[in-house]
Amino acid sequence: MKNKRFNLLLIAVVTLVALWSLWPTWSDYSLSKQLDSFASSQDSLKYAMSHREEIDNARKKSLKLGLDLKGGMHLVMEVDQVDLFEQKAWNKDGKFAAIMQNVRAKATQSDARVIDIISAEFKSENIRLSRYFYDIRNSDQEIVTKLEKESEEALTRAKEIIRNRIDQYGVAEPVITTQGSRKIIIELPGVSDETRVRNLLKGTAKLEFRLLSEPEVTIRTLDRINSYLAQNSQSSAAAGGALPVSDSSAAASASLPPGGAPPLAPVSKQSSAKPLYDVISVSPYGTAFTAERSKEYVVSLLHRSDVQALLPQDSELLLAAKPEEGKVGEKLYAIYLVKKTPELTGGVITEAKATFGSQSVQPEVMMSMNSEGTSKWARITGANIGKRIAIVLDGAVYSAPVVQSKIPNGNSVINGIGSLEEAKDLEIVLKAGALPAPVRIIEERTVGPSLGADYIRAGMLSLTWSFCAVSIFMLVYYKKAGIAADIALVLNILIVLSVLAGFNASLSLPGIAGIVLTIGMAVDANVLIYERIREELAEGKSVITAVTQGYDRAFSSILDSHVTTLSAAFLLYTYGIGPIQGFAVTLMIGTSASLFTAIVVTREIFHLLLAKNLMSDKSFG
Amino acid sequence: MRIFQKTNFNFIRYRKIAYGFSVILLVAGMVSLVVKGLNYGIDFRGGSEVVIRFEKNADVGQIRSVLDAAGVSGTLKQYGMDRSFLFSTVFQGDTGQLKSLVSNALNARIQGNRHEIVRIDAVGPSVASDLKWSAVKALFASLLAILLYVGIRFEIKFASAGVIAIFHDILTVLGLFSILGGLFTFMPLEMDQSIIAAFLTIAGYSITDTVVVYDRIRERIRGQKPSDYERIFNESMNQTLSRTIITSGTVLLSVFVLFIFAGPAIRGFAFAVFTGILIGTYSSIFVAAPLVYDWLRITKSSVRLRGSKVS
Repeated sequence: MKNKRFNLLLIAVVTLVALWSLWPTWSDYSLSKQLDSFASSQDSLKYAMSHREEIDNARKKSLKLGLDLKGGMHLVMEVDQVDLFEQKAWNKDGKFAAIMQNVRAKATQSDARVIDIISAEFKSENIRLSRYFYDIRNSDQEIVTKLEKESEEALTRAKEIIRNRIDQYGVAEPVITTQGSRKIIIELPGVSDETRVRNLLKGTAKLEFRLLSEPEVTIRTLDRINSYLAQNSQSSAAAGGALPVSDSSAAASASLPPGGAPPLAPVSKQSSAKPLYDVISVSPYGTAFTAERSKEYVVSLLHRSDVQALLPQDSELLLAAKPEEGKVGEKLYAIYLVKKTPELTGGVITEAKATFGSQSVQPEVMMSMNSEGTSKWARITGANIGKRIAIVLDGAVYSAPVVQSKIPNGNSVINGIGSLEEAKDLEIVLKAGALPAPVRIIEERTVGPSLGADYIRAGMLSLTWSFCAVSIFMLVYYKKAGIAADIALVLNILIVLSVLAGFNASLSLPGIAGIVLTIGMAVDANVLIYERIREELAEGKSVITAVTQGYDRAFSSILDSHVTTLSAAFLLYTYGIGPIQGFAVTLMIGTSASLFTAIVVTREIFHLLLAKNLMSDKSFG
Repeated sequence: MRIFQKTNFNFIRYRKIAYGFSVILLVAGMVSLVVKGLNYGIDFRGGSEVVIRFEKNADVGQIRSVLDAAGVSGTLKQYGMDRSFLFSTVFQGDTGQLKSLVSNALNARIQGNRHEIVRIDAVGPSVASDLKWSAVKALFASLLAILLYVGIRFEIKFASAGVIAIFHDILTVLGLFSILGGLFTFMPLEMDQSIIAAFLTIAGYSITDTVVVYDRIRERIRGQKPSDYERIFNESMNQTLSRTIITSGTVLLSVFVLFIFAGPAIRGFAFAVFTGILIGTYSSIFVAAPLVYDWLRITKSSVRLRGSKVS
């Protein structure tokens, strides 16, 4: 008797908790309905203002919809660990570069951890890691441990920086998590401008101030590359090969009629006396330019190791971030020869602000530095008056102003930015800081809001129809006992939804599929019990004995079948990713809940009915 | 209402026919898997997919030629029933570029029929191989878990036969996916993450029916002579036939609803679960229990079952 009262209490508590947990969802739904019902937007705004707290509260605690139902972006980004480890090495030489190139090739092909690939490569070359990493006295194992720690920290830092960027951009309820040793998962519900978000996330935001070489040095270097290429192409032309070289120089194309279609890509040609100057033009002031269409070719040229060997010590050639307008509207990218070692890096930036420049309508970003940066910046500008310092962001030159005077207050400006929006994004990434290593998008799933609405409609239809079909079947097949099973089924669905809402999990389309499947499976326990009770009744037992024995004897097969389904769902949750986990979660909750609803709840209903003499041996159909 | 009241089928005597049927089913599936292979979705293959929906009916050929002319190479298929198309191409890190390319081409060439890009998925090759591995791991871990659990609750012969039945079910569905893959436009039957979810659901559920039959055998076989096994197996299966069919029936009912209403994204999953449960019900009667019977007969051992409490 005591036990029975406890069960009744338990059922009441569970039902109340489920309803309580779903209450905000209901009020959120009815509030937004109310808001939609107003004739004018003014009325609805007024209503929203007066009920603000209520609305916010309801929204915060209501059942969340997944990205696929609400529309939004799901991104997986990978931190470039090879680059990260390269940064950590010192006295890098040709041998090191060759090994790391091998590592990079292997890392893209296999799933093995980058650190394992690195240590295996160095071992096969018989070089101790300590030659390049950390202290010479460290053993390989110690270095591997240290690098592992570095990469862990880099991942957490990258996650924080990405979170900062997203927070400043302003996305409601972003979810940012890390997975494994190099992946960051980003969920952005309701994002409309995907391209902008993607650009915001992608950049490393590595800001550097680098000294520009003297114009004469630049011209000499370009001359050297040109003659080297000419020699090379002649010899390769003699060998029967042909270097891809543009058939018209930038200067020549600038004189093309404006309507004339420029060739899409550099066309290969037998040989040329001036292979470099075919794609690059140099102004009398020593500034080099390349046209937009040959930009890609020039970049690939500059990345060649034999070309890089021709550059002066500690220098590299960089392209401008934005093109300048040529004489006839041709887009020209400036090429700069800059020092490889930066004078100052973005780490000293404390504040950034996007504004319009004083003399022009060009947007720009003003930056201020911390005290260490300020004193360094004063020293650097003081020592280089009359020279040019390039402001380099992620390997592209934004501007290269001439230093007019010593700057004592730690201010600097980035200009050469296309639009104010872009300046705002720059402000965000500069404030959030630089990523420890480059990241790249390796998975992206975007669902538009209209498809999300379709999914919701489809999901609701499936839920309703499957509930109707199964509950009607139970009624027809088991008569009165079917009612008990149907009540249990309703409670089961309530429990699943309330657990999702209570634990702040979100409901996705696979999640709805899980609930639909649960509807079919939840009544299974009742079917097993009822069939057993029918058997006991057929043996001539009284209804009370048949019910008791039916529940007792069906229990072992119910338990076994639930445990197997649960374990499969659990493993699916453990190994599955994203949407599949949503399915596994609802299936797990639903299966566990059905143990309770089908066994405890229906049994109590029968007890109540039996006590009131409302059951007969006909009640089980 | 009752279906299958007091049946008396001699399942054990006709088990050889069932074995033959299962073998044919499996062999046909295997042959198709080898010859035709499976249609992998981008989850496992890597690549980019764009779902485009038009306002009015549009012709696949026309859109295909427009996209071809724009220099976006890939395959275009009807997606679901509602004026939607699925365009799949190689993986591109920058989906924005792909989107604008497709969008611009369609805007310029197909006028008077506005389109909307409702979904873009891009899965890089490294992610695809990760997903594949975790799917395989999940599948084998769950089979192992079921083997252990049923082994502890019953006996290793019962557990093994149950797991063989699960293999039978999953392989049959896999074979069906290969045979029917790409035949229906409303149901492309591509292997992706959701199909793995379906397989795990099938694995978890296939054993449910089997356990119901086992449970009854366990209850009745205690202290019986091996010569009576055939009768006991048959009676147990007949007694549980009705509940086996009805439990599967309710699940089939809701999965069928899912297949009809839940849209193309879930259709492959629903198909897999539906056929899986159908095959699973068959296999629990015609494969799992008969295998245990044969095993007991050949090894001439009697059953020592755990956990059989008779109250």
